[in-house]
Amino acid sequence: MYPRWLWPAFALPGVVWLVLLFLVPFYAVIGVAFGSVDPILLQAQPAWNPLDWNIGWFSQVLGELTPGGAYWTVFIRTVEYVVVSIVGCFLIGYPVAYYIARHATRTKTLLLILLILPFWISYLMRMLAWVNLLAPDGYVNRFLIWTHVLSTPYGFLDGKSSTVIWALIYGYIPYFILPLYAALDRIDRHYLEAARDLGASPFRAFVHVTLPLSKAGVLGGMVLIALPMFGDYYTPNIVSGAPTTSMIGNQIDLYFHGGPQPTIGAAITILLSAFLVVLMGYYMWTIYRASKELRGA
Amino acid sequence: MGASSLASILAACSNSTTASVSSGTGKNSGVPLGPSGQPLARPDRRVTLPLWEDPITSGMQPETGGEFTVFNYPDYIYPKVLKDFGKKYNVSVKVTPFDDINSGITRLASGAVQPDVTEMTPDNLDRVVAAKLIKPLNLDYIPNLKANVWPSLVDPFYDGGSHYSAPYTVYATGIAWRTDRVTEDIEGMSDPWDIFWESQAYKGKVALLSEPRETIAMALLRKGHKDINTEDPALIDQAVSDLKELYGICNIKVGDLQYQTVPEDKAWLNQAWSGDMLAASFYYLPKPSVGKLLRFWNPGRGNGPIQNDMWSICSTTKKPVLAHLFINYMLDNGVGYSNFINFNGYQPPLNEVNPDELISKGLIPENLRNSVLSEADLGPDSLQEMTLTTKGQQLWQNGYSQFLTGA
Repeated sequence: MYPRWLWPAFALPGVVWLVLLFLVPFYAVIGVAFGSVDPILLQAQPAWNPLDWNIGWFSQVLGELTPGGAYWTVFIRTVEYVVVSIVGCFLIGYPVAYYIARHATRTKTLLLILLILPFWISYLMRMLAWVNLLAPDGYVNRFLIWTHVLSTPYGFLDGKSSTVIWALIYGYIPYFILPLYAALDRIDRHYLEAARDLGASPFRAFVHVTLPLSKAGVLGGMVLIALPMFGDYYTPNIVSGAPTTSMIGNQIDLYFHGGPQPTIGAAITILLSAFLVVLMGYYMWTIYRASKELRGA
Repeated sequence: MGASSLASILAACSNSTTASVSSGTGKNSGVPLGPSGQPLARPDRRVTLPLWEDPITSGMQPETGGEFTVFNYPDYIYPKVLKDFGKKYNVSVKVTPFDDINSGITRLASGAVQPDVTEMTPDNLDRVVAAKLIKPLNLDYIPNLKANVWPSLVDPFYDGGSHYSAPYTVYATGIAWRTDRVTEDIEGMSDPWDIFWESQAYKGKVALLSEPRETIAMALLRKGHKDINTEDPALIDQAVSDLKELYGICNIKVGDLQYQTVPEDKAWLNQAWSGDMLAASFYYLPKPSVGKLLRFWNPGRGNGPIQNDMWSICSTTKKPVLAHLFINYMLDNGVGYSNFINFNGYQPPLNEVNPDELISKGLIPENLRNSVLSEADLGPDSLQEMTLTTKGQQLWQNGYSQFLTGA
């Protein structure tokens, strides 16, 4: 009735999108990493042909990303910040998503709107707002002094790791909650009823039914926030500014922003991507295994 | 591999961008060459850039109508000045901003923007000329250059004959602080740069400029090395090592918003440009009383960096005569003065700008007298961050990268 190509053709816009806006730019970054630099304008000259690739920069940066290397500390700091922020997003986000999915009734729509609301304001603006809130004479310090929790303003913006991590959590948590909410909302309530009928306490039912069934949502949310967090440079710039709280994204920014070595920025980008691909691989494998188990069940 | 050696190793890694050195027996023999094949300009080494095309002929009428685009840092020119220029020549003037001069040059080179005039810096002049991104000037259209500008910048060492540029602002790099927070007599210290290494009491409130050249140059100067264009890897490594000491001393921060953060009490002690505290005083005071608390230490000629920004005409201009007239307009005493006092805070190098007069008129507070420069601050022994060879630029960038890792 329909030509065979019709349904696959629906994927065409997505494929074109992926090729034009992901594969081509990514190959351009690879070309830059293995290319050279215009001696006059100091701009990247990508090497499109793999036979022309110069691996000097890449292998050098790879060496610097190993223990003892120049970028090792900043890389490990980035991993720490991202891991702690993800844990924070989980601890804060899971109860929120759970409440909206399972217990909110009339307020569900309102809560979902409130969750989406931050997306209406740019990430940068939200971070800048926090700078004013956390400033020595900002509302947070004023409130803490007014309530006698503090006697003098606390230096939230004095280059503290905790501020950067809280800012990451604040900035990315909506992206964690939404997929998790969707996963929790999809869980068939009959499973929970069955668990309760079989004598499980609400807590045991949550641990043995809800939590495993929401694993894909948790992992999806984690992947969604981990990827941009790893490349983030403006959050530490805005709420800290101290080199001791900088992330690997700040190095990429430095080398791409100007100067004679965009090749180094591109090489760090590729190596970071390779690291993230490993994490993504684990996520894909987990999802694959979960869906296989479901089919088996 | 040790972090300290990264700068030199990565600099040696490049196989595509080598430094050229002039040969022969002339006075420039053995001197590093820039992209245009000219020796790298220094205050004591004057360079005249070759004309890659003839300037426009004299006596033409300015183009009118349509748009006139100024390519510049954001908020670096008084909107009223632009509006008045547009009204005078019946054009709509717009500013296309760039984040920093390097990204601006990248956009110019890519053709992503096609402005009429652009802000430029002396250390980039050689390469934008070599790439033919800017046009030669016909000074017949810019009489204000000779009439109003400090003589040393009428025919500057980096652009002999002003073939491609006319100055816009001058600024020195020094230290800004608040007297209600910082108790030391910084100006009375034997080496005021030491204050950053003695700032334990101000932890979290101390910042340096987020500029590789400025940051490393400061560390070099503190150790008595006055060649702030050095390409000696050992000196750069030592400077970076010294800067890293600041992590533990004051949890040093980096940024370029000192004109806001100091008056707003977010930073108490900050490496800064001379225009910053003036801009703070004009625009960013949370309450007027803060103005009296601001101070700026100017290292003075031969002790600290001094720079100037410039105007150049883009090769893409469709209004070359008007572009010349714009530069002349910006060098008008009244316009330059208004741009400085009413908005910018960065001083034009005009003979009529007199610190004493500005202070006596109450336009600049006495406590920021040091922020106003004079022509005496320039000269062959002044310290100016000028063009480096490509290897030198790699060395400095990698050094700053190491400082930025926080490790």
